[in-house]
Amino acid sequence: MDLTSQEAPQYQERIKRLQKHPVDGIALMKFIEAGLTWLRTNHQSVNALNVFPVPDGDTGTNMVLTMQAAYDEISNQPNRNFGRMAHTVAQGALMGARGNSGVILSQLWRGFARALDNYEYLDAENLVQSLAVARDTAYKGVVRPVEGTILTVAKDIAKAAQDAYKQSSDLIEIFETIVQAADESVEKTPLLLPVLKEAGVVDAGGKGLFFILEGILRFVRGQSLEIPHASVKPLSAITLGEALNSIEPGQDYEVVVDFFPKEKLNLEDFYTNLENMGTSIQIGEGDGLYRMHIHVPTEKRYEPINYAMSLGTISKVSMENLIAQMEQTRLEGEHNQLSLAKVEPGQIAVVAVVPGDGIGRVFASLGVSAIVEGGQTMNPSTQEILNSFENLPTDKIIILPNNKNIIGAAKTASELTVKNVAVIPCHSIPQGLAAMMRLAPNGDFEAVVQDMSDAINEIETGEITQATRNVEINGVAVKEGEFIALHNGMLVYASSDLEDACLGLLSKANASNYELITLFSGADVPKADINRYADAIRKVYPNQEVEVQEGGQPHYFFIISIE
Amino acid sequence: MENNSIAIVTDSTADIPDFLLEQNSIHVVNNLIIIEGKSFLDRLEIKRQEFYEKLPQMKMFPTTATASAGVYQTLYESLFKQGIEWIISIHTSKKLSGIFNAASLAAQSFGKRVQVIDSEMVSLGLGFQALVAAEAVKQGLKLENIISLIADTRRRIRLVAMLDTLEYIRRSGRVNWLRARLGDVLRIKPLLEVRNGEVLSLGEVRTYRKGVKRLLDMLTSLGPIERLAILHTNAEKEAKEFLQSLSFQLPTSPVIVNVTTVIGSHVGPNGLGFVAMLSR
Repeated sequence: MDLTSQEAPQYQERIKRLQKHPVDGIALMKFIEAGLTWLRTNHQSVNALNVFPVPDGDTGTNMVLTMQAAYDEISNQPNRNFGRMAHTVAQGALMGARGNSGVILSQLWRGFARALDNYEYLDAENLVQSLAVARDTAYKGVVRPVEGTILTVAKDIAKAAQDAYKQSSDLIEIFETIVQAADESVEKTPLLLPVLKEAGVVDAGGKGLFFILEGILRFVRGQSLEIPHASVKPLSAITLGEALNSIEPGQDYEVVVDFFPKEKLNLEDFYTNLENMGTSIQIGEGDGLYRMHIHVPTEKRYEPINYAMSLGTISKVSMENLIAQMEQTRLEGEHNQLSLAKVEPGQIAVVAVVPGDGIGRVFASLGVSAIVEGGQTMNPSTQEILNSFENLPTDKIIILPNNKNIIGAAKTASELTVKNVAVIPCHSIPQGLAAMMRLAPNGDFEAVVQDMSDAINEIETGEITQATRNVEINGVAVKEGEFIALHNGMLVYASSDLEDACLGLLSKANASNYELITLFSGADVPKADINRYADAIRKVYPNQEVEVQEGGQPHYFFIISIE
Repeated sequence: MENNSIAIVTDSTADIPDFLLEQNSIHVVNNLIIIEGKSFLDRLEIKRQEFYEKLPQMKMFPTTATASAGVYQTLYESLFKQGIEWIISIHTSKKLSGIFNAASLAAQSFGKRVQVIDSEMVSLGLGFQALVAAEAVKQGLKLENIISLIADTRRRIRLVAMLDTLEYIRRSGRVNWLRARLGDVLRIKPLLEVRNGEVLSLGEVRTYRKGVKRLLDMLTSLGPIERLAILHTNAEKEAKEFLQSLSFQLPTSPVIVNVTTVIGSHVGPNGLGFVAMLSR
């Protein structure tokens, strides 16, 4: 708990006032809003809790989106009945669940709601009960529960509530104990889960749950839920590639300035000044060099540069016209229209989750009937996955999540439909493609699912990305900013050179024993350079065929299939 | 009915090796392949190996033509003149070729004396049916028994193949399951089977070795086999290796066949497959 003693007297009055009112459905709506707001305020710090030093930390984002869906659902149909509102929350969370953490969060809400079925108000007794049912439901929702995760935090919360109830039947006192217990439980997660300890982080999902609960408590106490935050990321974590997705009307120029400040930057002031100029602000730092990224209106396009010049020495400036860029992207988009496979009633249709245009085209060419955009940093929601196939004119659906973190949402989607849906547990793009090779649209559903599931084990996956911090995993020491190679999800090699990272990966994967190496280049690899990397690989592997595709995925410079 | 009173007629797409044709007195009508405006008689006027070597470089896609009904009529007439009572004329799937129609047309003027049969197969999938029929003729079986024997044989035949590329079969227009851009983006090798007279997809592979493994798995899963043919289009070495890698009890004298150009022009070089006739 980060509450200071000075704050304490201010909220005592408010609490006394609140204690007189029964906690009804409208109060729950406020709680959800508070939990969501506080989580959103802190979601970047949750995202940063990533076991792998890869730029795919998205647990915070996923939990925010899941809670947002829950809030949208209840704010649309406010009701005084607490139990009914709890069900609405659970329904919203279920439909909006993204990523594994979102799925577990939605299970917690489901259990919570189930225990409160017939209660008009929340009280100490049914709170204790509902937390226990929430815990049980979440554990049951996971095939092999792992301790040291959000599940453990849920378990510790339920226990703390039970113990506190023996001492007091005051709802607020019990809730304070719960938040305290959540905090302590999160801090202990590295003791239970060795990968967390090795990476020097606490569990991200557990931390997110803590923020939701703390947000509710802060609301009860009348504390701010939107403390301005000026966070600095490592340079490599600034995601410029997604600028076009976040373009706001009137903010026509993207300006990026690298500079060395004369004296230590006051980040709060710096951030506030930038906010007066534009939007989409990101600040990065590495070795004393600061990088600021901002979207500004045309007439203000030189302001960020002048401002940076007043603070120190500028080393690099780049400015892009986002409107023109967007037009270009739109034209390219039209040119590259996907042709999805038409499916007829009774046939098997495949839905693929893909992280880039190029990879989407590859899947489309192999006969998928629907594509859901998503991947490492953008886990699609259960609802998005559901929408992708609900309108297909067949009842036989196969989903290729192509990412470990999307399997949960895909499974949830499969349970929410009357259609016959199978999820192939593919963890990577190469595995998904290997499964596609076995698609027989007119075949026996069970047999095709079995065949496609078997196929994912017949391929080796390589991924090259960039480390977001220093770490040592599997005996591989990695420095922030280095290129790291993952072989079937395991860190096997790191290098400051991208070409060397590719070759290191192929060597670790024994590529010389295979026939075909397919490179899917990422959005961050300049088109002009792609063939240079392919040629370097061909030189070392003259007996293997090397095929290159523009994948267009973010964060991953190369996704490589070896077969 | 005398032993020698029934004749078996097929066409060059049956891919029956010459020595077996002679041994079993099977009559073959040759189809035509037209390369850059010139037509060649299948089996006689064109060397398969040379054809497949040149195929990828050909500026115009070769086309194929069935022998005319007149050719069939002439053959049937001459057989009847030699004292044959009945003719069983068995051909490639009518869903894939016009051969069956040409033969049927020619047969019309002979009433029931010429029985034209749709094998619903190609290559040795057809060839095995013709061979079984010819052997039955030698054994003195009656016409109706031979015809039902052919139907029984057809049910026991499996034909599966891996093509090196989708390019040729796409141009052939012989399949309806090809997705619009399949193979355009990612290079793939399609696996297919012929069943009920149609070419069906068994999915794809991206490497030769994986394709061979899948062919092996499929062949092994079929159970006891009475006759076996390994089909290829200029991949004789690979066909031999495939045959050698089979660990189950092989039927007597399996054949390895470089497939006729009339079929091969629709599938392209470096294809590999098998025809298996299951034991009863």
